[in-house]
Amino acid sequence: MKKILVFLLILTMAFAFTACAPKVETPVAAAAPEAAAPAPTPTKTVYLITMDKMDQHWVNVDAGAKTMAEALGLNYKWDAPDVKDNAKQIEAVNNAVADKADLILLAANDPKAISEAVKTAKAKGVKIIYVDSAADEPAIATLSTNNRQAGVLAGQTMVDELKAAGKTSGKIGIISVNTATNSTMNRENGFKEVVAAAGYTILTTEYKDGDAAASQEAAYGFIAGNEDLVGLYGTNEGSTVGVGNAIKAAGKSIIGIGFDKSDAILGLLKDGSLKAAMAQNPFTMGYLGVAQAYAALNDKSTGPAVIDTGVAILRK
Amino acid sequence: MQNKEHSFNGMWRQIVSIRGMGQVISVSIALIIMTIVFGIINPLFFSPDNTTNLLRQVVPIMIIGMGQSFVLITGGIDLSIGSVAGMSSMISATLMTAGHMNPWLAALITILACCVVGLFNGLLVSKAKLPAFIATLGTMIIARGIAQLVNGNMNTDGIPESAKVFKDLFYYGDTFGLYNPIWIGLILFIFFNFILSRTRTGRHTYAIGSNYEAAKLSGVNVILAESKVYIFSAFLAGIVGLMLTAQSGMGTMSAGNMYELNAVAASVIGGVSTMGGQGLLFGTVIGSFIWGVLNNGLQFAGAPLALRNLVIGVVVIISVLIDRVARSGKFDFRKVLKSKGVNISS
Repeated sequence: MKKILVFLLILTMAFAFTACAPKVETPVAAAAPEAAAPAPTPTKTVYLITMDKMDQHWVNVDAGAKTMAEALGLNYKWDAPDVKDNAKQIEAVNNAVADKADLILLAANDPKAISEAVKTAKAKGVKIIYVDSAADEPAIATLSTNNRQAGVLAGQTMVDELKAAGKTSGKIGIISVNTATNSTMNRENGFKEVVAAAGYTILTTEYKDGDAAASQEAAYGFIAGNEDLVGLYGTNEGSTVGVGNAIKAAGKSIIGIGFDKSDAILGLLKDGSLKAAMAQNPFTMGYLGVAQAYAALNDKSTGPAVIDTGVAILRK
Repeated sequence: MQNKEHSFNGMWRQIVSIRGMGQVISVSIALIIMTIVFGIINPLFFSPDNTTNLLRQVVPIMIIGMGQSFVLITGGIDLSIGSVAGMSSMISATLMTAGHMNPWLAALITILACCVVGLFNGLLVSKAKLPAFIATLGTMIIARGIAQLVNGNMNTDGIPESAKVFKDLFYYGDTFGLYNPIWIGLILFIFFNFILSRTRTGRHTYAIGSNYEAAKLSGVNVILAESKVYIFSAFLAGIVGLMLTAQSGMGTMSAGNMYELNAVAASVIGGVSTMGGQGLLFGTVIGSFIWGVLNNGLQFAGAPLALRNLVIGVVVIISVLIDRVARSGKFDFRKVLKSKGVNISS
């Protein structure tokens, strides 16, 4: 009996071990070409740390960064918390520093919270470039959308669409991420400025952490609770998907304006549930970010300290 | 085979005869193997930088896991502790920023507030006889609500420069080459391990989880004993909340999200039974290390994020399976215990 027990324990341990085995394959495969193509100088490591890995936005930043890193022969890794979380992002930065990153491209989840970790990283000789969202601590460069201006553009688009639909007054609901994220707060405030000036009433913003399902419920709440609701605005990918799906489900002629480009959003634009989406250029953020990283690591000029990567208005 | 069994018995048998020790030993071996493998894949894993970094990352999950272990050993569960950590983060930071309060006083008030939540949990479970799952589900939502309420549904500003000592004690500073939170974790482990293994409170904790009625009949003050464990777990969650405040230098409303379940995972991996009556805090420590080493090591190995969660999930399930197997083999176990004169029915 006991023999069986001991045997089973060892067996389960072996299982636990093989469960960890897949990880062995990835790095070995990744390390091999690096070893096969020896660079004259030791390869520098660039880390990309985003807010999470859920949104296609971050996937595109990664794609851009990876493309440029391969072109320049840099060792490149992408890491992020599984959900937006300050503590977890600080740990990701600490881990990257311990993993001897030479430079970190960082999208700060909260400008204050991450700053101490950034300061510590800088003290250990790690260079920092911000992509998408900067932290309070100064860095070499920042590549991001001018979010305030993008918000103004979204607001102008909303007003134009409403006027075109013959609605000169009414209520507008906003779904945003949270009050701590600078980028979405700027998008919200820029939007409000234009829309309020045009004579529409703006309802109290709902913050749903970019969760598409929760955003949809909140958007549905706006629709159900306000008969004279004329427009809904989402400030990021998840919020926008929620807005589009709620308008689609309600089947009412409400103008939906949002942010970001994803398959879901393109689909919602196509079927008319959303009128327009402000598309950022995440690929450019990653692509140019790594180019600047390369310049910084080789002590060359990194160009402008702030690069506005711009927005495009996507329609049907 | 029987002879072999006897040849290395002695101390070994004595160690194994402690309930739950079998699993602690097996997961410890798994931890050592894992650590070595990660070190081979990426030698930087063993660098002093990463070792101290990793220890610091493990501490919050270990501390909150110890609290959850106490509750699990009584046969309950505390779902509120993640939210209590968030509440602790928000209360302490709000007192320091908007309240301009001395950080130590703010920390003290915060911990007291957390203990009140723990007491409330304890009374709901022990006196009002609500199932622990339901009672603490309610307080989980309430505590998160308080976290959102204290600063008007906004994360706080950065805590002032004068609170630098607070930040250093709970996260950034170090003593004798180890970050301070590691020392805090060690002290809390020694203290609570003493309570669980050497005091009457500890014996009552096991007794309630093994057989509630029997414990009651034998004169254990079950209401007091059961309330205590929820206060312990809320207290420890409060400490973790202070660490989160120090780490971010601000209060975050969503801080500690999912920690309650991570704590269950750390406990269960370390051999604490969710059915009560069994578990060692040392096991929880090992469980939290497995958790931390997997997260950190898989990053160093360059494994994709999705794979990390998948592996951790598999490890949790295997751990419970080991527990099951060990329990089904308890016929032998008990004989060993009886031969040592250990009272197993508590």
